[in-house]
Amino acid sequence: MLNSSGYIFRETINSMKRNPWLSLASVVTVMVSLVILGYSIFFLANAANMAKSFESELEIGAFVQIEYTPEEVQDLKSQIEQMPGVESVTLVTKEQALEEFGRTIGGSQGNIVSDVGGTNPFPDKLTVKATDPQNVKALASSLESNPGLYKVRYGQDFVDQLLKFTQWLRWIGFGVVAAFGIAAVVLISINVKMNVFSRRREIQIMKLVGASNSFIRWPFLIEGLALGLVGGTFAAVIVGLGYNWITVYVQSTLTFLPVVQNEVLFRQVSIGLLLGGMVMGALGSLFSLQKFLRA
Amino acid sequence: MIQLTNVSKIYPNGARALVDVNLKIGKGNFVFLVGPSGAGKSTLIKLLYREETPTRGQVQINSKNLVRMKDREVPYLRRNIGVIFQDFKLLPNKTVFENVAFALEVIGVAKREVRNRTLATLELVGLKAKETAYPHELSGGEQQRVCVARAIINNPALLVADEPTGNLDPDTAWDIMELLYDINKRGTTIVMATHARAIVNKMQKRVIAIENGRVARDEEKGGYGYDA
Repeated sequence: MLNSSGYIFRETINSMKRNPWLSLASVVTVMVSLVILGYSIFFLANAANMAKSFESELEIGAFVQIEYTPEEVQDLKSQIEQMPGVESVTLVTKEQALEEFGRTIGGSQGNIVSDVGGTNPFPDKLTVKATDPQNVKALASSLESNPGLYKVRYGQDFVDQLLKFTQWLRWIGFGVVAAFGIAAVVLISINVKMNVFSRRREIQIMKLVGASNSFIRWPFLIEGLALGLVGGTFAAVIVGLGYNWITVYVQSTLTFLPVVQNEVLFRQVSIGLLLGGMVMGALGSLFSLQKFLRA
Repeated sequence: MIQLTNVSKIYPNGARALVDVNLKIGKGNFVFLVGPSGAGKSTLIKLLYREETPTRGQVQINSKNLVRMKDREVPYLRRNIGVIFQDFKLLPNKTVFENVAFALEVIGVAKREVRNRTLATLELVGLKAKETAYPHELSGGEQQRVCVARAIINNPALLVADEPTGNLDPDTAWDIMELLYDINKRGTTIVMATHARAIVNKMQKRVIAIENGRVARDEEKGGYGYDA
């Protein structure tokens, strides 16, 4: 094998030069499928992370009927504080909400009420903290039946929808990645097949003088692996840089969104993409060699 | 050394190339296979280096059974069998040296040994001066010498040749025959399918005539036996 390595390396380079456009097409399809795979993984990781951060929130937002007087609101607050499973209740009054809103849009204090149409559109909001995350759902539904509250919002609601969405995304992502993956394997296989064809005289003579089948196969196998690996490398770079750029952008603009920035995940995805490329390459080579190089 | 027992070969299209052939060829023999085109000579040659396997019967070389042999053992069989063709089968983009060295490179021989043995073999076939030439720069006879060099570089026990002089003019053909004669004298068994009447008649070697897939004649020191 040691004596043959030079030969195998030379042949691999030569065969890639022989069909540069097909090689490029193979590399690009491998890359596209892996880029989609990479971003899907990061998106799903973020969705899971988001779901988890919402799940861990023990808070329920309860909006008080708009016509309630401040006294009635205080009564309601102390009534809820007595309920089992409630740790604390904080009141955000409609005035505070308006002020908060004014601060976020950066307008001048006095004009906000007139700016939003003369009346304060915000309701009073009670933030109810549960003692145990298990209780959040039950607590929320008993709050919903309270006539003093017109709307109850809690994390689980959103989490359920998010999970349903990621479920869909997972299947769609899987389908798209599979489609591109198959296309990549087929292209690599055509690539290798063409090189086997253009070297058929050489292969015939190699067989004649007793080169072992594995010796004949190696350059083609390595060619497929190399095409896959190059595609995988580009994909890893694109996914890595792109994700980095997205996290920076999201963190500076949508500061409330929790973004996954996990070195380990990063490394795992990169290695996974490289391996994925090599697997596609190896599969492509094997498919075409199987037919051509029988004894 | 070579033994064919009740060998029949029927191709998938139904062509009966060989029918119940029994043959024994001893070590160091020089054997001509003669007979009309399509009689089965090439098929018999292909059985010997296991390009084909018989439909029925057994083929043995040096008591190795080629029918039962696994595909992955075939390369090792072929390292001990040289093959020469009418159309030379040289690689056009490789020099004479590279074409011959190729046979050693692809079986993993060390570089220095490849060089030494290739030069020695080129010397033997009289092509040392042409080692850097490409096949298209050579005459037909020279190309066939390259092919012979490639076939014998591994010191095979058996050399099979399918009409090696078919593309050569008579004088050049004789040069090649002298070369094969020398190789045979060094102990290599040679089986050669041919239509070259003059060569067969002059060499006075064993002649096996194949007609319609059967052995029609088998004589020591025989002649070509067909009218021109």
